[in-house]
Amino acid sequence: MAPVLDLHDIQGNIIKAYPRFGFCCSRNFFFRVSDGDAGRAFLSALIPTVTTAAPWVSGGAAVVDSKRPKITTNVAFTFEGLKRLGVPQASLQTFPEEFAMGMTARRDILGDDGPSAPTSWDPIWRSADPVHIFISINASNQAALEQRYQEILALSPKSGLNLLSGHRTASGVELPYQDSSAIFDNGEATSREHFGYTDGVSNPYFKGAGTDSSNVIGGGKATGKDARTAAGWAPLETGEFLLGHKDEAFEYPEAPIPNLLGDNGTYLVYRKLHQNVGSFDAYLARVGAEFPGGSEALAAKFAGRWRNGAPLTSFPTEQKANEFSARWASAKLAIGQAKTQAEREAAKRRFSALNTEFVAFDYTDDIEGTRCPVSAHARRSNPRSALEFGNKGAFAGPSSLSDRRRILRRGLPYGDSQSERKDDGEHGIIFMALCASIRRQFEFVQQQWLNYGNDFRLGNDKDPLLGNQELDEQGNADGRMVIESDPSSPTPPFFCAKLPRFVETRGGDYFFVPSLTALRMIAHGIVDPT
Amino acid sequence: MSNLAGKANAMTLITPIDGPVMALINKTIFFFLGTKLFSSKLKGLLTLSMIHYARWVIVSARDFPRLSQSQPAEDLDYSYMLFFSNFNGSWAQYVDSFSAAIPDGLDGLWWRNVGWPKSVPEQPFHRYVTDNQLWTSHYYSAYPMAASNDVKSAKNVKDKLRQFIRDSERDDSDAFLTRYNRLLKSLHHDLGQMAPTPIVSLAAQAVEERRRTDGRANA
Amino acid sequence: MANENGNAYALTTLCPLLEVSGEDTSPAALIRDRLHRVNTGASSPMAKVPNVYFCRFLILDDVIYESKPHRLEHLQSQYLVFEASLHGQLAPYLQGMWEQAQPFVRSMWQFCVGFSEVNDAASFTAYIQKCQVETTFFFNGSTDEPLAEQLKSLYLKQEFSKFAYAHQGWSGKDLQVAFEDFIARVEPANLARPTWRAGATDLKGVVIP
Repeated sequence: MAPVLDLHDIQGNIIKAYPRFGFCCSRNFFFRVSDGDAGRAFLSALIPTVTTAAPWVSGGAAVVDSKRPKITTNVAFTFEGLKRLGVPQASLQTFPEEFAMGMTARRDILGDDGPSAPTSWDPIWRSADPVHIFISINASNQAALEQRYQEILALSPKSGLNLLSGHRTASGVELPYQDSSAIFDNGEATSREHFGYTDGVSNPYFKGAGTDSSNVIGGGKATGKDARTAAGWAPLETGEFLLGHKDEAFEYPEAPIPNLLGDNGTYLVYRKLHQNVGSFDAYLARVGAEFPGGSEALAAKFAGRWRNGAPLTSFPTEQKANEFSARWASAKLAIGQAKTQAEREAAKRRFSALNTEFVAFDYTDDIEGTRCPVSAHARRSNPRSALEFGNKGAFAGPSSLSDRRRILRRGLPYGDSQSERKDDGEHGIIFMALCASIRRQFEFVQQQWLNYGNDFRLGNDKDPLLGNQELDEQGNADGRMVIESDPSSPTPPFFCAKLPRFVETRGGDYFFVPSLTALRMIAHGIVDPT
Repeated sequence: MSNLAGKANAMTLITPIDGPVMALINKTIFFFLGTKLFSSKLKGLLTLSMIHYARWVIVSARDFPRLSQSQPAEDLDYSYMLFFSNFNGSWAQYVDSFSAAIPDGLDGLWWRNVGWPKSVPEQPFHRYVTDNQLWTSHYYSAYPMAASNDVKSAKNVKDKLRQFIRDSERDDSDAFLTRYNRLLKSLHHDLGQMAPTPIVSLAAQAVEERRRTDGRANA
Repeated sequence: MANENGNAYALTTLCPLLEVSGEDTSPAALIRDRLHRVNTGASSPMAKVPNVYFCRFLILDDVIYESKPHRLEHLQSQYLVFEASLHGQLAPYLQGMWEQAQPFVRSMWQFCVGFSEVNDAASFTAYIQKCQVETTFFFNGSTDEPLAEQLKSLYLKQEFSKFAYAHQGWSGKDLQVAFEDFIARVEPANLARPTWRAGATDLKGVVIP
């Protein structure tokens, strides 16, 4: 039974991935509160601009997207921020340990060592005083972003609240905000990130999540039936992503007290991830020359998807992936070219069906990793039914080991890598993960599935794209990955040696995204667990 | 004191069983679990593949060793189930995996132990385990850098390598290469190298670092 | 025999502690403190004992109260719990434990009822068997090979993986020569050396050359 979510009470960035709706530019900025009264007054003034999850389509077919805002605004807090804003100790102690510690203190769990250690982070994240308030705004263009930014700054008091600087940029100047945006190609926003992969293809689908139920395919949990169809999937419980709702363990997730403080809220992990595009290109070129299928195939094996987004398990060859991509592109074109409403509806249906193929798969027919390597990034970060290792019925559900480790992803790339493909510089991803338990979901995946390999029976091997690869005794890159070969051919598996760290952490923290109700309570200073 | 020895984690539980009749039922469940007919019930546990060795020991008052007349005899109404496991990962991390993947199995193994809340929902189960846990004072693993998967995988490598050496004795270089490639294919999921455990517990890590700097002597 | 699973053996002992130690502290507290001070890893006294895969020591003070409505009851004695997963037969293992870790054994069992009579491997073995409780169910999620085979296998897995990575794409001729050198170095049939050191926690010191 699906809950009826009070979408007006839930912040919009939890339910919606804004970039999908055309909000391709984002600005993230952070405040430190030195005076609780000033901080709360600021919040009160800010609340009317906060974007909720209320639907953007109004009643009546003629009025479409009438409620879509031009700019979205959302707010979140660190533990220290909640404390400084006057949330009482009795409530603070009911927040989870990892949230209270903050991301810097969790670096050993997360593998933020070597070049990813806090000593290399942007200055804003290295301060002895932590960040308190996080504001994120999204718009379809830079001008709108700048406008909302100035509006919000105008709301902030003269004292008691500081906009924090210290975000590094390519020019060397440190800014008081972190911009991120879709990478543009010929003026059009793409879904690409700096390594060239199509990103954000897959996101969890949970009860109450949205009106398009076809998103359950690949986004929900596996039922064991045909993964290419809706019968193969069921929605995840809301409580995996929103506090105050039943979760996959048939209970409410641990949440702060009073329940009004936690209900309809969630946690947000913000990480600035630098990408060493120079090393990536060089590795693909060098090792791709030896790899059967070449660089593009090697890139696909790393990710578990071709760079156009087609999943390896369904499209094992570059040719098949490109054919699929071409079909998808022409189906998209057909929508705009439709002459009648009926034609348009039919075109939309065809496009939607093709769109689903990006996510409508499971690994049960590819247990050996012949098509999608066991060590590939997509497979590691969301194993679907793969952890049953082909033993049907071993677990309560085929994807039982994955169902409680899912995260909503809401990030965008930052910086430029098109003019020059190098390691130095400022380009990467502002990674944001939302989930009801940072420890059980984000931290587990990060530590056990990306920076380690035991659950996949791969020893200490790490994720080829995101793993914190080690150095050998001479200080050279020492990461490894085995790429399985076709069992019917005599070709041996391919060994990727000397994998460097392609991704390095440059900062971030753990945030709590409250409901609108909780936000008002915090702003009015009335949180009381008595 | 530590329940961790590298990748291995010592979980020790003591839970009451409501009297001799229930104890007999529990022992019977375990008896059948050990037979071929019911070995499929262990499929979940085996697929999780996170346990090196584990044991359940059901004792009642008269089973407690009494080595002298001056040692008082135990006088207990409940029987007790002792559980000793050597598994991989931290309990905090993996309780959700056990609870989500094999809840029926866990309920069978702890069939109506006193206070057993069932393994789903997860939070009461987690609390019950922690409340009934005994902490190890000295824990030893012969291979802290090997998870259960590593040990099993290593046996596969050793067996196949030894066989390969025998089979390839008279190979010319072409035949050798062909056979070698076949060997690699058969071991494609057994060539992950091992290293120390990731830091699953900041508390355990801090204790370990203190130990190293203090350099405690043998008792 | 429920203590066995193939060639693996589950030894569970509850060794009753004396009421008084003769010192200011109870036996339970004293032994617990001693256990906490024992070196871990490759320096653990257990690392020298053949054929023990895993073992643990703890003090069982009392049974645990499950709260109302359940009954409150108590143990009359405290117990040194020694639990071990071994390969092979019990008696040879205990003999090995006495021979390789006698000071540790004497120290940890010093305040156990009747232990003052123990003065050699035979009496130690008899004592442990008196303290033994029957395993109801022994689950083996690993192998039941001798420890020396397990350690050798781990060594071979690690070394062969390195070999495979380092010799990708080599010609049959060169590969065959390199492989022969490899086998001469790792000696797959030699369990004594080279192999992995029991209890090692770091890659730097793990190989016994």
